[in-house]
Amino acid sequence: MLSARNISMRFGRTLALDRVDFEAAPGQIHALVGENGAGKTTLMNIIAGRLRPDLGGVWLDGAALRRGSAARALRAGIAAVNQSPMLFERFTWEENLALGGFGIAGFDLAAVAARSRALADKLGFTLPAAGGTIEQRSIAERVRLEVLRALSFDPRVLILDEPTGVLAPAELAPFLELLSRLRAEGRVIVLITHKLAEAVAVADRITVLRQGRVVAHTTAAETSESALARLMIGEIDIPRSPSAPAAHAGETALSVEDLALDRDRARVLDSVRFDVRAGEIAGVAGVDGNGQAELVEVIAGARRARRGRVSASSATAIAVIPENRDLDGLILDMPIWENLLLAPALRDRFAPHGWLRRRAALELCRTLLARFRIRAAGPEAPAAALSGGNRQRLEVARAIAAEPRVIVAHNICRGLDLAGAADVHRALVEFAATGGAVLLISSDLDELFALCGRIFVMSRGRVRETEPADREPARLGMLMAGNWQ
Amino acid sequence: MLSAIGKSIAALALACAIIAAVVLALGASPVGVFAALWEGAFGSWYAAADTIVKATPLIFTGLAVSVAFSGSLWNIGADGQLIAGAIAAGAIGPYLGGWPRPAAIILTLCAGAIGGAIWGGICGWLRARRDTNEVISTIMMNFVAAQVLSWVVHGPLIEASGAYPQSMAIAPSARMYMPLEPTRLNPAIVLAIVLAAGCYLLLFHSRAGFELRAMGRNRRAAAFYAIPIARLTIAALALSGALAGIGGAVQVSAITHRLYEKFSPGWGFEAIAVALVARLNPFGIIAAAIFFGALDNGSQAMQRTQGVSPVLVQVIQGLVIMILLAFDTPAWTRIRGGLFARSRDSAPPIEPGAQADA
Amino acid sequence: MLDAFLNSAIAMATPILLAALGELIVEQSGVINIGIEGAMLCGAFFALVGAYFTGSTIAGIAAGIAAGVAINAILAFLVVNLSVSQVVAGTALDILAAGITGVLYRRLFGITGMAFMVKPMARLAFGPLTRIPILGAVVFHHNAFVYLAFATVPVIGFVLWRTRYGLTLRAAGERPEAADALGLGVYRLRWHALLASGVLTGLAGAYLTLAYANTFVENISGGRGFVALAVVILGRWNPWGIAAASVLFGAAMALQFGLQALGTAVPYQLFLALPYALTLVVLAGFGGQAASPSALGEPYRRP
Repeated sequence: MLSARNISMRFGRTLALDRVDFEAAPGQIHALVGENGAGKTTLMNIIAGRLRPDLGGVWLDGAALRRGSAARALRAGIAAVNQSPMLFERFTWEENLALGGFGIAGFDLAAVAARSRALADKLGFTLPAAGGTIEQRSIAERVRLEVLRALSFDPRVLILDEPTGVLAPAELAPFLELLSRLRAEGRVIVLITHKLAEAVAVADRITVLRQGRVVAHTTAAETSESALARLMIGEIDIPRSPSAPAAHAGETALSVEDLALDRDRARVLDSVRFDVRAGEIAGVAGVDGNGQAELVEVIAGARRARRGRVSASSATAIAVIPENRDLDGLILDMPIWENLLLAPALRDRFAPHGWLRRRAALELCRTLLARFRIRAAGPEAPAAALSGGNRQRLEVARAIAAEPRVIVAHNICRGLDLAGAADVHRALVEFAATGGAVLLISSDLDELFALCGRIFVMSRGRVRETEPADREPARLGMLMAGNWQ
Repeated sequence: MLSAIGKSIAALALACAIIAAVVLALGASPVGVFAALWEGAFGSWYAAADTIVKATPLIFTGLAVSVAFSGSLWNIGADGQLIAGAIAAGAIGPYLGGWPRPAAIILTLCAGAIGGAIWGGICGWLRARRDTNEVISTIMMNFVAAQVLSWVVHGPLIEASGAYPQSMAIAPSARMYMPLEPTRLNPAIVLAIVLAAGCYLLLFHSRAGFELRAMGRNRRAAAFYAIPIARLTIAALALSGALAGIGGAVQVSAITHRLYEKFSPGWGFEAIAVALVARLNPFGIIAAAIFFGALDNGSQAMQRTQGVSPVLVQVIQGLVIMILLAFDTPAWTRIRGGLFARSRDSAPPIEPGAQADA
Repeated sequence: MLDAFLNSAIAMATPILLAALGELIVEQSGVINIGIEGAMLCGAFFALVGAYFTGSTIAGIAAGIAAGVAINAILAFLVVNLSVSQVVAGTALDILAAGITGVLYRRLFGITGMAFMVKPMARLAFGPLTRIPILGAVVFHHNAFVYLAFATVPVIGFVLWRTRYGLTLRAAGERPEAADALGLGVYRLRWHALLASGVLTGLAGAYLTLAYANTFVENISGGRGFVALAVVILGRWNPWGIAAASVLFGAAMALQFGLQALGTAVPYQLFLALPYALTLVVLAGFGGQAASPSALGEPYRRP
């Protein structure tokens, strides 16, 4: 029996977890659901000993665990699988597993490999051939390897953080079956997810987190998806995302021709060709890791393709909002107004001859903060002081202020609560209504169906336009998995 | 801003406290040492003037280091760049006899800038186009510069009699004006201040300066938003080298009038302490350079009257850098919070949830 | 002639090799130690002080090692526990070491620094083997330090790539967050690496004063610590490559004496500059950093 009691954790000014109690029993799948940012991953990291909570503790079968010690947690039998796999990229998979539970004594890589294969067979995985580093593996393989590494510790508690996010729809069923088998072995399985359908389908017990607090403990039988949704976001009205505008036949704002990009002998972009027209919101649906990030980098000009062209009416006609906002989109140490200057169009506007027009830039910053309702102390405050949602609003504000012809947004609503996402969607729809073009690259089908006219699908570096008939989840799921009959 | 200055002052104070302990352990008197330092640095008009003279090369190299560090380009080679500038100045200086004085001086300084720019630019190119760690390359170029200097003072530029390992004297027209004899105070300090102002404007009021600072804080984001990383790297290190090179030329033109081995007593490294104390702010560099220049100047007196080696100031420099680094970390903020906090719950949560799961 | 040159090349390679092997361990754990020059200088000074005042070479070596470890411990506290900039902290230690050794040197031995010497270390006796042409001079005519240094090469290789401990150390340099998530203890591993490197660098410094110059002059390390940094890169983070690169540098340094003796028209400064320029050329050609540990040089803070 795993129990975490009175867990509180603060990061800077943000209270990530507030007196959370959580219990999970053996032989059960316990789902931990909540919006992005509710505190689920933080709780997992605390239970797995990677983070030291400010208050509270973790007990396993009545024995208290040393807080903040991942080594103790692993030895006690708690293993966790991260949302994005934390493997050692330049090591081989055998070395990665040797750092797991199989390599505890000595250093016999062959033995580690043998035991790994045995376990993998038992679980129904296939393992890659010997040698070869992780860098070359696909994202699904990495997830499997990380699960295998976790299981090599023979854990009594297995925590999985959004494991199905990177799996293609076809791989889902076998994965959930695997979880059932593990449950049958008497382990404690904790499944962290924001996908309510999954939780209801698979879990025995469900705990709902909202903004760092536990708001409900329930079972699948006693609840429903819509009930859970209401618990997750509270009693406010679910803001409705504006409906998609009709597809205009406006002129082409962005055209991508025959893009090809290789990395480590793998084809990351494969003859990608599509265009986006003025006034439309076009979507690119796909599971993360199929080339979307690289496509965005090529369009932004941060990476050069081996072949092919990206054309727009001018270099500054494209505004890009990258997926990784804290790493790629903003410079957190710099003040908000200087972050605005990152957009090339704004730099051209406020420093046309090399001299920075500070006052004008500060003025624009103030205007944008007000117009997009960004909560900040002022334009000179560092970007780091903004919350995640406000950072995203800043990026959208910057993109729109640059007056581009086309906005390219990658997973733009990740990490936002529903109200924030609705704001962003509204801004994009307004932009399209005034003649702008939007390219929405996302793995969130709800978002795509709500906003987009044309939908493309991207899989293994290839992009294909879908028919209106493809516009339903199961069919689109198959296409995203690469089944392009 | 005030807390930034406060940090620097606190670091200097702490370093002095440690030095006092070290001096005591060495069997000398801390009071005596600090008194000697002060006396040597500011005890008379001549001393004060010489403090400024000693601070001048630190302003040039300090600016060089600041500009590079602002772009996260770790230029440890300001010494070599200064020497390259000095060599260039010492090479054309002797031949400027026929030129009018203002022109000769300007030419000498320009030669210094070009020499330093080349020296720094090479490392910039290596980083931009060959991904060569600039820490290593600038350090290597320090050694190469020292050898080139050794060669020219023993060889091609050797002074007429051939007896001493030093270069020919530069022509009188290339020598800096000395309006305040017998002190060595000269207009170069004005040039240094002007360049500091120029660096400030460049860093904080120009597009290139913004792009450099952005690249320094977050290289990935800079690349994403079409900031020309390669070009900026080369330009920044070339500019950095040019600033140090002008410093070298100033030394030749105003103070030494010729070249000799071991031309730099470590200004390039001392500049790192100067730059950090100044928090990379060009105007702060002026103040920090005067402080360290005072230490350098006073250290001679300290040696005479207290018998402590002048390299004690290097201990101060090293300590100051480490203390400033420590002050800047979140760990220090936590320790300080732990020492001075009253209750754990004093800070109310402002936004629960949100960015923890980013 | 050739014999003397080759012997000298190996001898001059020794301190560089020792320091570079230490740096290899540290860089595999993810830290770049610019302060290696300062640690070597302190090792050199305190080794001489220890040997001079106790009359025992062993005591000198122990003192040198202790000094190297102490300097690295300061760096470890700064860059591991406080996660400050590794480059700047290392540079600070270089300056500090130059200052400390300078002040203490003059305090202990007066302003003129009257040469206080220790008796040179004996070369190991191999009898008739030393008379083999060429090979004799290269392999059989050195003092204990040299053999120790070269013997360490395969040992380091074994520990880093053939033991579990080495794997965990390299994991800390590859992806510290993942290593900590597996409970490997990145802070602890980096401390180990810096302390171990302190031993090797202290030994390198001790070599300079006890076996090479038999005395101390200010800045006796002469940039060899920085050269060690370059050697690690040139050697592609591989112990054998590092050994080869060290010998290359040793040869370049040995060349200068040979050429001065020959009295050629070529300025000797060219040969003194050669190792450094060569480093740059090779670094430029090989494109630097692709083989380095992924997290090298990045400050890491335990969450």
